Amino acid sequence: MKLVLARIDDRFIHGQVTVGWGQWLRPDLILLASDDIAEDPWQARVYASTAAPGTEVSVLSLGEAAAALRQVPGGDREPPRVILLTGSPADMHALMSLGVPLSRVNVGGMHFAAGKQQLLPSLYVDRDDLAVFRALLRQGVRLAAQTVPGAREVLLDDSLLASMEARL
Amino acid sequence: MIEGLVLTHGAIGAELVKVVAMILGPVAGLAAETNEGRSALQTADVVATWLAGRAPGAEGLVFIDEHGGSCASAARLGGTEAAGVPVLSGVNLAMLLAFATWREDLPRAELVQRIVDQGRKAVAVVGAGR
Repeated sequence: MKLVLARIDDRFIHGQVTVGWGQWLRPDLILLASDDIAEDPWQARVYASTAAPGTEVSVLSLGEAAAALRQVPGGDREPPRVILLTGSPADMHALMSLGVPLSRVNVGGMHFAAGKQQLLPSLYVDRDDLAVFRALLRQGVRLAAQTVPGAREVLLDDSLLASMEARL
Repeated sequence: MIEGLVLTHGAIGAELVKVVAMILGPVAGLAAETNEGRSALQTADVVATWLAGRAPGAEGLVFIDEHGGSCASAARLGGTEAAGVPVLSGVNLAMLLAFATWREDLPRAELVQRIVDQGRKAVAVVGAGR
């Protein structure tokens, strides 16, 4: 598999992914990694049904997703281009802990929930989220918030996270 | 009585419902909601709340703006299938006018077809482009 985008987005498969990033990156596969959704076939089917025709969707548990993403492409065929989606920073970090090599992570959408504060227009976080972001940064991941290609990209670096932490 | 929920990105739904009221007068049982600022599951909760809040015995219809998107996922995750409530995508003004005009007179299955037909008819090339 060739990972063309690793994205944190609590809406998972929706217009920004299928149209915005999809038209730009032309993925062969959208891989939705979530233990909760993978164990609920109906929910998995609902999310899969919203993908654009021609784009395959796999809904896998974190362990299954990591195993699939760790596979080294072989043979002469071009490996499938993959958009990886998780619903939270913690799930993305878990994939990394399971051996998925990630150098860049796109933070697409984390919406308001109790106890979370707004960091950017489509990004609400709490202390746990910030701790995971920091862990990803320590592991050399480039973290950037960007809803769609062409939209303003905001690097989530130590100083931005520190300023957010001070507000929590 | 058939109640309707218009679930869209941004303020599309609210504005459509507002315009329907400007044309036909206030329409009871036609609500608008947005996915803005909400995750898929939070939007699904909005749908579930609307389904539960319908008047006793009222049937329902959910309109969404885009078939492949978070509103579509949320409508289904919110329980429309279990409640037997159809979800119509591609909502436009003609569809909502049809809904408000014929919902008292037609059984729901026929109303759905009428709404889809009116919505499709409204998408046309007019004027010099013809």
